[in-house]
Amino acid sequence: MLERLRRPWPDHRAEFLLGAVACLLAVAIVAMVVFVARGAWPTFSHDGLSLFGSGGNVDTRIGAMQNTTRNPPASAYAIHAWPLIYGTILSAGLALLVALCVSLASAVFIVDFAPPLVRRVMGPVIRLLAAVPSVLYGLVGILVLVPLTANHIVTTEQRRSVEYVIPLSGGVAVTVVLLALMITPIMTALITDALESVPRPWREGAIALGLNPLRATIAVSLRAIRPAIVAAAGLATARAIGEAIVVSMVSGGVSFAPNPADGTIFLFEPFESLASTIIRNADSISAPAIHSTLYAFAALLLFSSLILSLAAYLVRLPLRRYQSTS
Amino acid sequence: MLRRPRSALVPVLAIAALAVSASAALGSSVITLSGATASYPLLELLTAKYAKLNHSKVRFSLAQGGASVGISDVAAGKVDIGDSSRGPLPTDPGGLDFYEIAKYFVCVVTNKANPISNLSASQVEQIFEGKVRNWSQVTGSSLTTPIDVESRTSVAGVLTTFQNTLLAGGKVASPPAATYASEGQEQTAVEKDPNAIGFLSDYFALNKQINAVAYNGIACSVANTVNETYPGWSYFYEVTRGPAAGPEYKFIHWIQTSAAAKGIIESNWVPLTITKTVSG
Repeated sequence: MLERLRRPWPDHRAEFLLGAVACLLAVAIVAMVVFVARGAWPTFSHDGLSLFGSGGNVDTRIGAMQNTTRNPPASAYAIHAWPLIYGTILSAGLALLVALCVSLASAVFIVDFAPPLVRRVMGPVIRLLAAVPSVLYGLVGILVLVPLTANHIVTTEQRRSVEYVIPLSGGVAVTVVLLALMITPIMTALITDALESVPRPWREGAIALGLNPLRATIAVSLRAIRPAIVAAAGLATARAIGEAIVVSMVSGGVSFAPNPADGTIFLFEPFESLASTIIRNADSISAPAIHSTLYAFAALLLFSSLILSLAAYLVRLPLRRYQSTS
Repeated sequence: MLRRPRSALVPVLAIAALAVSASAALGSSVITLSGATASYPLLELLTAKYAKLNHSKVRFSLAQGGASVGISDVAAGKVDIGDSSRGPLPTDPGGLDFYEIAKYFVCVVTNKANPISNLSASQVEQIFEGKVRNWSQVTGSSLTTPIDVESRTSVAGVLTTFQNTLLAGGKVASPPAATYASEGQEQTAVEKDPNAIGFLSDYFALNKQINAVAYNGIACSVANTVNETYPGWSYFYEVTRGPAAGPEYKFIHWIQTSAAAKGIIESNWVPLTITKTVSG
């Protein structure tokens, strides 16, 4: 038996096996979507579009769901998830903005400007950072950043101005900093790889025509790798949207919708995301209404990551002609 | 051809390993438990003592994960006993029996930098229901900053106990209260923030890093819960599917009646005075 496996495979058999593995992956994804949608169905059917609305208190609603029955009435499923959806988009969006700026700058530096020694060290270090488990960032946040902001950056006057509404602690600012820290390395690594694949003559030609090195990088190299930048951003955003541990540890513990019109204190206002709400209430998933609600949140997350990869694909289409082919 | 003997060795080893583990399982019974993080430290001590007293004829496999996890695990038959820090809820699966094994209590706690010694029942209500929002309005505190109320997510057993006893049925208002998914996180929040006030179960509250506040002049302590003057307490339960029988019955009965178990419970928690069973 083993003897036969060790012999080189005929093409048709290898093709069959590889095809089977690829199909298995597709089946797993479909099964996951069906599984989540089935769990979420009671919430979607009882709540309809009001699931996406605002008003009411998410945490209080979930608490009330625990005290219904094994066969809860339709009214028990009512929940308005807008603060969570908004919190998810807000934190991931701001983190992406920060991470995009930092990773573009550092990738350009590493590839086109850094001395060879720095370059040899930076590459592996960034890859190492990209592999740090997120709970570590959460610990740093809860033990260092949240007390630091709450005790030294937020003023008593700011806290007093909203004392009857919300507590101000780490909130938006700390979460965005940590999420950006988490996704910057992976984006930098991807953009660095893309920049390195740009044919050297392209940039050198631009410099020969009289552009200074930075202008040449921006005008030629970065233009050429736009599809890769979009792909990196898509991947990083998906990670930020789905991050549960970090957000649940530092975001402030209130399902509030932070308002940019509030000025500086907006940065310290608390919020919760879809993923963090799932993990905070997973303990009570045996109550049927909570079970269905958490699955509905999971379905929204799954759907948004689908939209995200579709959007990244669509944005990349018109950029295809810039793709380097060397 | 030289590889043959080595590959033949693998199944032989596997069968031998199976045989060894099977004979070990026959020689002693294993009781599996999962559930509340709040009662985990107590169960750890109780199971170790019970195994020792029975000369390791009974072995335990103990896991935590939350009261509701333990309850759904035991209902699904994944474990023999579920540990719970709350009584039965209408959303729990049917056919479960809840056995009280010990009492625990909940303390109001503040930061070490704000060492309030006592709060009246109405002060506790006003602070946690969001009516009093500044330490300057609280007698006994020298702070003049807004109060940071720390609470637990609405599904936590400790929150239920706190609201039913010390808040006299009132509800913690959130917002403004921040909510945490575990006692450890709430403990950290109170430890790190001088303006914080929260509530923790005895095991987390009675340590040197945190200030436990007396309620209506009654200190939050084991002694005051034993003599039934401190009102903020509730039960730890062992939960079985159907009435407990066999080794599970023996274990629960041992916790409820033996002097050895009582000694362990008294070290940090409160032993039962009357034992009764509640059916789920």
